[in-house]
Parts: sequence; structure tokens; C-alpha cells
Amino acid sequence: MTSVIHKKRPKIYFGTETCILLALVITVTPILWTVILAFMPNKSIINSSFEFSFWLENFRAITKPGQQFTRQIINSVIITFGTVLLTLAIGAGSGYSLSKLKPPKLFTIPTFILASFLPIVPPITLVPGLYVVFTNLNLLGSLTGLILINTVFNLPFAILMIKLYFDQIPEELREAALIDGATERRIFLSVLLPLAKPGLGAVAIYVAIMAWNEFLIGLILTTGGDSAPLTVGIAGLVQDYQILFGEMSAAGFVAAIPIVVLTAFVSRQIVTGLTAGAVRS
Amino acid sequence: MIKSRTFFPLRISAVYVISRRANAMFALLPFLIFLAVFALYPLYELIKMSFMETAIFDGEFFSEFNGLDNFKKITTDPLAVNSIKVTLLFSALCVSLTLFFGILGAILVQRSVIFKHFARNIFIWPAVIAPVVVSMMWLLILDPTVGFLNKLFLFLGRDPQIWLDSKMGAFISVVVVDVWHWTPVVFLFFYAAMSGINQEIIEAARVDGASERKIFGNIILPILFPTIALVATLRVIMTIKAFDEMYLLTKGGPDNATSIISLHIRRIFVEILDYGYASALSFSIVFVLALIVSIFYFFRKKRVRE
Repeated sequence: MTSVIHKKRPKIYFGTETCILLALVITVTPILWTVILAFMPNKSIINSSFEFSFWLENFRAITKPGQQFTRQIINSVIITFGTVLLTLAIGAGSGYSLSKLKPPKLFTIPTFILASFLPIVPPITLVPGLYVVFTNLNLLGSLTGLILINTVFNLPFAILMIKLYFDQIPEELREAALIDGATERRIFLSVLLPLAKPGLGAVAIYVAIMAWNEFLIGLILTTGGDSAPLTVGIAGLVQDYQILFGEMSAAGFVAAIPIVVLTAFVSRQIVTGLTAGAVRS
Repeated sequence: MIKSRTFFPLRISAVYVISRRANAMFALLPFLIFLAVFALYPLYELIKMSFMETAIFDGEFFSEFNGLDNFKKITTDPLAVNSIKVTLLFSALCVSLTLFFGILGAILVQRSVIFKHFARNIFIWPAVIAPVVVSMMWLLILDPTVGFLNKLFLFLGRDPQIWLDSKMGAFISVVVVDVWHWTPVVFLFFYAAMSGINQEIIEAARVDGASERKIFGNIILPILFPTIALVATLRVIMTIKAFDEMYLLTKGGPDNATSIISLHIRRIFVEILDYGYASALSFSIVFVLALIVSIFYFFRKKRVRE
């Protein structure tokens, strides 16, 4: 008890706190400004001085029946869920295999080279080739195609993460189940996979953010409009000759706020994902 | 280790090893198929196309072998040379600035008492927002009429500026956007690395009378060195892959001042429709990057062995 009482109080450095406050302001200003504009009519946005109001017409305008925006949100949701599910389905098996089943070197080394090459190259350099593949498989402009590509780009990192999680689970568990006569499939599905759930959760969150934010592939492999994801839709609003700033901000708000709110709840998993995930990107 | 030896008979059973290996390959197979179809095959097509002259007539592709012509074009295309220069300058500036601010931020938040928890959570925000939305947000900051910056300038009684219309202004703007967007990731890395440093070492140095600057330069910085190398590599890769910000904010302009390599390839591929040349340029970039990364891996492996 005494040690607690006598423990020196942490010293407050005012210079430090001021610098952080400044950094916080710089971090938050662009986000906050977009949120403010999303709730303002174009008339007051264009006004050269600061003028604030609160109205919801911008949101009503972008979600009007006949607008592509609603369709694009649905597309993005489908792409995100599809990518997460497919990545986890393929990644869990592969990560488990690499961690516990010791596949032959002849098999893993080419996989490793290809998988580490994928995150390094700019996606645009693969586009000419991917375009040919998509044309051959008749996937151009389809959501299935975008789900597949997003999955490919996220798999190397997802598998690495899942492997690391399985590495933490002691080998003895697997051996005990083997001795009890369980098949490999049974061990994977009923013993080890449930134990890796937190890891799979972190991977799912990270992949979801990546898929939701993806832009370049969606831009080039769809024709825009009803087949495009939300990010491509927003880019279209940015590049309109006559930008409707209010509606554009509202669209950005819809795309960004769910992720920011999600961050507040699962920031620990996101930090794991980002710091490990940056190894990948 | 000793404990697992009790299962020794199980480990050497040939049937078991074979079935385990079969399962291992079976579980990896979907991933391999994905890689083959969506990475290896596109790469093969890319290489093939880079030696071809491709033209489209009536929606049909016609290709003809033209040797190294496409690669020769790179050296004579002033825009390609320009885009490589722009990419290198962009990369150098963004990597060093994000590292500087990321490390600074980590030090400050470590020392902070009031904002520690708050800052740690909010500093993640830019990193999770889509690059497209980030670009849009900055357009709303930099726009000459509706932009926050100019409204602030007017409010403070200064002349409004046109940020994105000059070569210098546009380039600085995309650097600022990139630094704003990715400093948080760098910050998280260094914050994690610094939290791992044993405080007793630093306490000991302080007791011995070392100044804060000495502590940072002689103790903290050397411990952080592996993290710096890792993060710098990642950031170099990220900046070379950059596309969204330039595509939306400046379209590569004005006068190609922000036309980085991805943007130039996209233009050749989508607007000029010279598939052979786009592929040759893409392949060259892939080749150079693969070379750099292999050298990096080689040296790291060597260092680990020594």
C-alpha cells in the first residue's frame, strides 16, 4: 500500500500535451469538416465565409430511388462480406496447414515466393494481365470477380496472420486428439479452429476494412454505375464537372463513419491488423 | 520438448506422415489455385503482352510479336522518365516525413498524461478511412472556394490561395495528404516498439545523469533501429503503390508534376490503349521491385546468419 502512496505522480509536460493537442486537431479537422459539410446545403457551402446549418437533404438526395448510390453501397457490402468469408475459408485451411501439417518444402517455397510478390507490386502492374483473365472467365464488371480479386490480394497477409495464431496453440492438443483417433479434418474443425477464433476475428476485421476501402481494381474492372463499389461511386462524384459538395460529403460520410465507429469498438484488433498488416502492404 | 517425445512412435509412423502431408497439400490447394489463376497467369500474360504490339479492330484483339520495341519505348518516353522521377521524389519525401512524425508522435504520446488514451484511439482514424474518402476530404480542405483552408484564410483576413493549380502546390498537397493518411500506421508501429522497451534501462541512464537527448540518441534509437528499417521498407512499398490520392486530387497534373508511375501506366492502358507498352512498363517495375526485395531478403538472411 505504502508504495502506491509514495509512487511519484507522472509529471505533466505542457509542451508535450500542446503538441499532441495540435496533432489531434490536424488529424480530426479534415474528417470533421466533411461531417459538417455533409449536413449543410450547397448554398452555404459555397458561401466564402463560415456558415453553419443542419439539414438532411444531402442524404435524401443521394439515396433517392433511381440513384446509383444505394446500389453501390449494397455492392460494397456484398464485396466486403464475400471477401471476408472467402478469405477466412481459404486462409484458415492454408494457415493451419503451414503451421501444423508441415507441407513439403517443394510445395511451400514456390507458394511463399508468389505470395510475397503479390503484396509488393503496385496492383496497376497486374491489371493488363488480370484484364485478360477476367475477359476469359467472363468476370468483367461482376461482383464475383471483385470478390475473387480482393480475396487474392488479402490472402497472403490473412494466411500469415492465421498461421501465427495457430503457431501459438500447443502441438500437444493436436497429438492428443490424434491418439484419441480423431481424423485430421475432425481435429481441424472441432479442436483447433474454435481455438483460433480471436485470431480469425482480427483477420476478418482487417480484411473487411481493406475490401470496403478498395478502389483501383473496382475502378478498372467495372464500368462504373450500378456495378461499381461505393469507392468508385464517390470518385465519380469527386470528378463530376459540377461538384455537388454537399452530396459528395454525405457520400464520404456514409463510407467513412461506419469504419471509424467500428474502430472505436475494436481498436485493439485493428491495431494488431494494421501493424502486422502493414508487413503485407 | 521432452513431453512430446512420449508420442515418438506416432511421429515416425510412415502412414501418418504421408497422410499428414497429403492433408497439408490438400489444405493449401485452394490458395495455390487462386495464386495460379490471379497472380501467375496475369504475370505470364503481362510478360507475353510486353513483347507484342496489340491493336483492337472491331472489338477484337490483334497481337504481333515486336521484340524489345516496347521496352525501348520506355527510355524514349519523357513522361515515363518523369513519372519515375516523381515517384522517387514522392517516395523519399513521404517515407522520411511519416517516419519523422510517427516517431515524434510515439515519443509524445508515451510522455503524455492527459491525452494518452484519447490520442492513441484517435490517431488510428486516418489509417482506416478509404484512400478515396481521404482524397475527397482533402479536396474539401484545399478547394479554392469551399475549402476549409481558404475559408480560414479569409476569416483571418488573408488572401485565398489556389493550392492544387501550381506544380509545386499540387505536389506538396499530395505529399501532405499521404503523410496525414499514413503517419498513424507508422505511429502505431513505434508506439508498440517503445512500449516494449524496458523502462529500467532508461531509469538507470537517468540516475547516471544522462540527458533526455542522450537517452534518446544512445539508448532508444538503437533499440528502435530494426523497427525503423522495417517501417521504412513498408512505406517505400506503399508509396510506390500509391494511386488513389493523385488520381482524385490532381489527375497527375498540373503538367505531370504529380503523375506517379501507377497513374502513368493507367493512362497508357486505359486512355492511350497501348497494351504492349503498358505491359512492358509494368513488367519493368515488377522486375525492379522484385530485384530490390530479393537483395533486401538476401542481406537480412545473411545478417541473421552472422
